[in-house]
Amino acid sequence: MSEDIVKIKGTSLGLQLSFAPEASFEEVRENLRQKLESGTTFFLRGTLVLIPRDVFMGSERDELQHLFHEYGLICRTQKPETEQAKQPEAKATVPPAPQPAVPPASQPEELKPQEMVVVNKTLRGGQEIRTKSSVLVCGNVNPGAQIIAGGSIDIRGTCRGMVHAGAYGDSTAFIIADHLMPTQIRISNLIARSPDEMEKTDRAERASIKDGQIVIEPIERQDKTI
Amino acid sequence: MSEIYVITSGKGGVGKTTTTANLGMGLAMRGKKVVLVDTDTGLRNLDLMLGLENRIMYDLIDVTEGRVAFKKALVRHKKYENLFLLPTSQVKDKMSVNPEQLVKLCDELRREFDYILIDCPAGIEQGFKTAIAAADTALVVTMPEIAAVRDADKIIGELGRADKENIKLIVNRIRPSMVESGEMLDMDDINDILSLDCIGQVPDDIKVVTAANRGEPCVASDDSQAGQAYRNIVARMLGEDVPFMDFHKEGWWTRLKHMFRR
Repeated sequence: MSEDIVKIKGTSLGLQLSFAPEASFEEVRENLRQKLESGTTFFLRGTLVLIPRDVFMGSERDELQHLFHEYGLICRTQKPETEQAKQPEAKATVPPAPQPAVPPASQPEELKPQEMVVVNKTLRGGQEIRTKSSVLVCGNVNPGAQIIAGGSIDIRGTCRGMVHAGAYGDSTAFIIADHLMPTQIRISNLIARSPDEMEKTDRAERASIKDGQIVIEPIERQDKTI
Repeated sequence: MSEIYVITSGKGGVGKTTTTANLGMGLAMRGKKVVLVDTDTGLRNLDLMLGLENRIMYDLIDVTEGRVAFKKALVRHKKYENLFLLPTSQVKDKMSVNPEQLVKLCDELRREFDYILIDCPAGIEQGFKTAIAAADTALVVTMPEIAAVRDADKIIGELGRADKENIKLIVNRIRPSMVESGEMLDMDDINDILSLDCIGQVPDDIKVVTAANRGEPCVASDDSQAGQAYRNIVARMLGEDVPFMDFHKEGWWTRLKHMFRR
């Protein structure tokens, strides 16, 4: 029974939740909390979670969003069109009355360009930073480490790991490192791999997209005196 | 004040157990009261390195499960009176001990010993998590080899996650001739990636193997380069400032051999 209070379906966007119509808010909340507590690999940090838009409103919805935030998940109410598409199979008792009352603000609130995650240590093999914003690393990025950022990436140190800037489609994103020698660079939907013989560069470099491909060029760092 | 060290590496075969045996014996030779705890349950080797296999009566699992007091399970070394081994079981597996049990045991051992060295199993699974739980300091052993350095990096990250901030590096099995010809990573390459305080550089030495087979760690033999390197690490653990050995200086005998080979 408790399994059926909350149903989870994986979609290309993220996880799609649907709630049993007869379940109370408290039941749903407890059930979700248990699931979040147990299924650690299923609920990866940064995963987008879609909840049906017309079931819980106001403070209840805020509370759910808060719950997901605690576990590092991004919570959105479902888009109206997907809601309608899902309608026939979901045994909905309430017809999806067109609700212009809720503004579309919840959907394309998108990434705020100024946000930045600061990592004040060396990222070692197996460690991963995954964020929608930009990333500043004060330290090295070692082989086997990964950074996946929605914005740009700045590494004040040597970059030997895998770095992906503009991971959600921003092709103006770029990557800067004091020594840029990653295993792979990805910007937006492009991938570049390092040459098989890597040499340590003595100048800071910047990777960005130009004319549809990733180019790497040396840059001058104003605040560095070497 | 006693100190707890865990000797770990991530990758297998880089010399965790050999290092544990040598450092333990080296500390005992300097008059410290030392206990070596083997946590590589199911694949125990530390007793072999010390030549103590036939003296084992009880093991770590008997102690953590409360069947015997830890004093009964300790095996005293035949030559060095203040060196003890707490062997583990060869029949159980690593799930038999949990971190809380080991922390509790180490708290008891702390009252009796100056140094507690924990020999960690390879890998980053339960056995590793148990082994590091009680440690004040982690000694990460690696080799000048890309896979070993990569795994050491991972281990350092895992140690950081477990809030173990005090981490030292030991680079084992260095072949000076290969380093010189550029075929092997040198210390700069390793420091570049790991950026860790290094307290030991141990050369590859066939005497390590023969010593292990005899059950007498090479730290006790004067004519072994690796033994000298281990003695230096022991001195650094005791707070002395010892310069790193220069492997490139070859003795007249090796130089003579090289001449004949040409």
